Amino acid sequence: MDVELIEIRDFLASHAPFEFLPEETLDVLPKKLAVRYLRRGTAFPPRDDEQPSLYLLRRGAVDLRDAEGNLVGKLAEGDICPSVCHPDDPRMQMAGQTSEDTLAYLLPCAELQRLRERHPEFAEHFDDSVSKRLRKALESIKQDSEGTTALMTVQVRDLLARDLVSAAPDTSIQEAAGIMSRAGCSSLVILDGERLAGIVTDRDLRNRCLAAGVSPTEPVSRIMTEKLETIGAGTLGFQALITMTRLNVHHLPVLDGGNVMGMLSTSDLVRVQSANSIYLVGDVRRAENTETLAAISGKVSELQVQLVASGATADQIGQAVSAVTDAITLRLLQLAEAELGPPPVPYCWMAGGSQARREQSSHSDQDNALLIADHMKPEDDAYFAALARKVNDGLHACGYIYCPGDVMASNPKWRQPLRIWTKYFNTWTKKPEPMALMLSSVFFDLRAIHDPEGLFDELQERVLKLSKADRIFIAYMAANALKHRPPLGFFRKFVLIHGGDHDQTFDIKHRGVVPIVDLARVYALSAGLSQTNTLERLKAAAAEGALSKDGGANLVDAAEFIGTLRMRHQAQQLKRGQKADNFLSPDDLSPLERGHLKDAFSLINTMQESLGQRYQAGRFT
Amino acid sequence: MADLASGLLLDWRRRWRLRKQPPGPLCDYLSRPFPSPRTDYREVEYVAVDLETTGLNARRDQILSIGWVVLSGTRIDLSTASHRLVRVQGDIPAESAVIHQITDDVAATGTDLAAALPEFLCALSGRVMIAHHAHVERCFLGAACKQLFGGGLLVPTVDTQAIARRILERRQVAFKASDLRLHALGERYNLPRYGAHNALSDALAAAELFLAEAAYRDNGRGMPLGDFL
Repeated sequence: MDVELIEIRDFLASHAPFEFLPEETLDVLPKKLAVRYLRRGTAFPPRDDEQPSLYLLRRGAVDLRDAEGNLVGKLAEGDICPSVCHPDDPRMQMAGQTSEDTLAYLLPCAELQRLRERHPEFAEHFDDSVSKRLRKALESIKQDSEGTTALMTVQVRDLLARDLVSAAPDTSIQEAAGIMSRAGCSSLVILDGERLAGIVTDRDLRNRCLAAGVSPTEPVSRIMTEKLETIGAGTLGFQALITMTRLNVHHLPVLDGGNVMGMLSTSDLVRVQSANSIYLVGDVRRAENTETLAAISGKVSELQVQLVASGATADQIGQAVSAVTDAITLRLLQLAEAELGPPPVPYCWMAGGSQARREQSSHSDQDNALLIADHMKPEDDAYFAALARKVNDGLHACGYIYCPGDVMASNPKWRQPLRIWTKYFNTWTKKPEPMALMLSSVFFDLRAIHDPEGLFDELQERVLKLSKADRIFIAYMAANALKHRPPLGFFRKFVLIHGGDHDQTFDIKHRGVVPIVDLARVYALSAGLSQTNTLERLKAAAAEGALSKDGGANLVDAAEFIGTLRMRHQAQQLKRGQKADNFLSPDDLSPLERGHLKDAFSLINTMQESLGQRYQAGRFT
Repeated sequence: MADLASGLLLDWRRRWRLRKQPPGPLCDYLSRPFPSPRTDYREVEYVAVDLETTGLNARRDQILSIGWVVLSGTRIDLSTASHRLVRVQGDIPAESAVIHQITDDVAATGTDLAAALPEFLCALSGRVMIAHHAHVERCFLGAACKQLFGGGLLVPTVDTQAIARRILERRQVAFKASDLRLHALGERYNLPRYGAHNALSDALAAAELFLAEAAYRDNGRGMPLGDFL
């Protein structure tokens, strides 16, 4: 090849989809091109070509507009326009005019077709739908993280170190201890026939038998734990770790179908990976004061960095980080109760916002509230005020800074008995004012962190009943969910926003994460679902028919892709010793990531439009 | 209309010269009529060309390389992109080697001008030549034709630098000589900047500059070729 066209070759090689072509094809490709110059203001793609061609912009820019003349995107250096070659494919259609003097390379459609036939990876760029492309991208980012460790990919069934060690409920305690001792294990599964009846651990032998003076001849069923969480054999190791961290247990029976397959212990997980979040939670449980807790919580950013490095997705990281926050909150409550004495009446400590959704990234603000039993007396509030103050201060000391909007249990407004909370929600749903809608992201994502008497279920039941039945309220929520629009895409070093504005950086939280969180909340409330986690909400809502199966799956993918980019961005900052933020510069993104992000934006946009139409949300904005 | 008259005169001269020219590459070249200056410039074919030489004196200095690419109307056809290194007589002066980076060793891998020039003439036949500061190309190619085929080179020529000067003068803006350089003008029209400095990339840059200049002069209804000559 003439050495002189190397620059054009290199230009092709650095832009999708041409980058997927092999060297020898790239070497001869420049000779297949024609070059045109289009002055600013020329209709694009031009209609005067004798030979239909794909356009690749070498210099300049194009404004793309829809039939109504609204700006829907921009093309710049390296972008392609395949419209002319696919006249029947609506996904490929784009039209507009050059907004700068533009030099374009033209690849004849026949040549494009030949390339597509010979190079599958190149062809995928044109064949795949937006959602399929995004799904592939997601799979590949899950795979190509540097040290993909076993926990992310291995199923629990493969982590079990030993065969099932079990005994019948009528086995004596002594005999049970003998079985454990011979097998060298610290826990025993109690089976009633095939059915899981309970488990007994070393600790039960100590606490419930020896210390309690129960005779070793008694049946083991007397000291076993009956109310059990279990885990499926197909669960990923990481998910099991999160579940154990959340439940604060060290053993979980593993079910395969209906049958007990074995017992997963934390040591099984630790063998695979130093399981930081479970260690952190263990340390939290032992901490005796706020200073110790603050020191432990300082390791959360390290945890986030490690999880990112080991290939965890945003959801997994959010679960792990939130589990630590839950544990710290719990411990602060215990320490406060130890100091203040037992509460005069039962209460529930509720977390709102990202903690409630289990989507926290290293250190978020705190959002919390107190729900108190209805029979509280006015003078009881002094106790709860002191409790709330201690926990809020403690969380602040641990890096969960005070909520700027004062949505905290120390605020008397958010420290109320059940009947007042019910009234609040009644007002919010009946009169969805701006203030109420602003609070909705906190109070319609609510989760009980500490609730020994189960006060929360009743409140949640009432709220869901209220919101589900109220179409006007849902319509307001829908309109609110359209306030944060994703960008249209990227344009050179800029982010392109609806209306044609540019931004230097892009707030991945407010323009990427929040739109999906808001959508998921509307779907969940409209279907009366109790889930708070965004992915769980989307999956449950799709199962309930509150949104289409495809729509749900697409949003899950978009959330995972955007969230994971965000976590990686923050991990990089934390690694450099900087404060984690949400501002991405388009320069930091590879061309491929930009493409996938644009796909994710367009999926969100589609779902927002359809939600807007369904509730005629425009009327409420 | 002076351009039109001289354009028509040029083709009359071509026919006159063709009768005297012995058979050979130059005769073949002259046998195809020049595009009429009345033709819409968008219907004409062009060859953008650039030469690297050992110096600026066409009588003394030699051609080191020729790069060219064909334009069909307002499209550059990259399949025609060509570059020929030419073997020279004697040593390449060091001061010119610094500019074009063609050393004696590189030049030794080239072809004889006697082989490269006919190939170029064949591409040029029936087409209009585009060059930036075309005087150099006309002088060197003319001298080469005279030396090899016994007759000078007649060719209708678009000089992208002359067009740029006319535009700037008409707008009555002050400009320096350096503003008229190929790369400076390319920047003005938002054209890509090629890192490598060689005959083909400069020919391509001149071709792109012509498209840009034409796009700025054309109001969308076309213009006669004569307006660019």
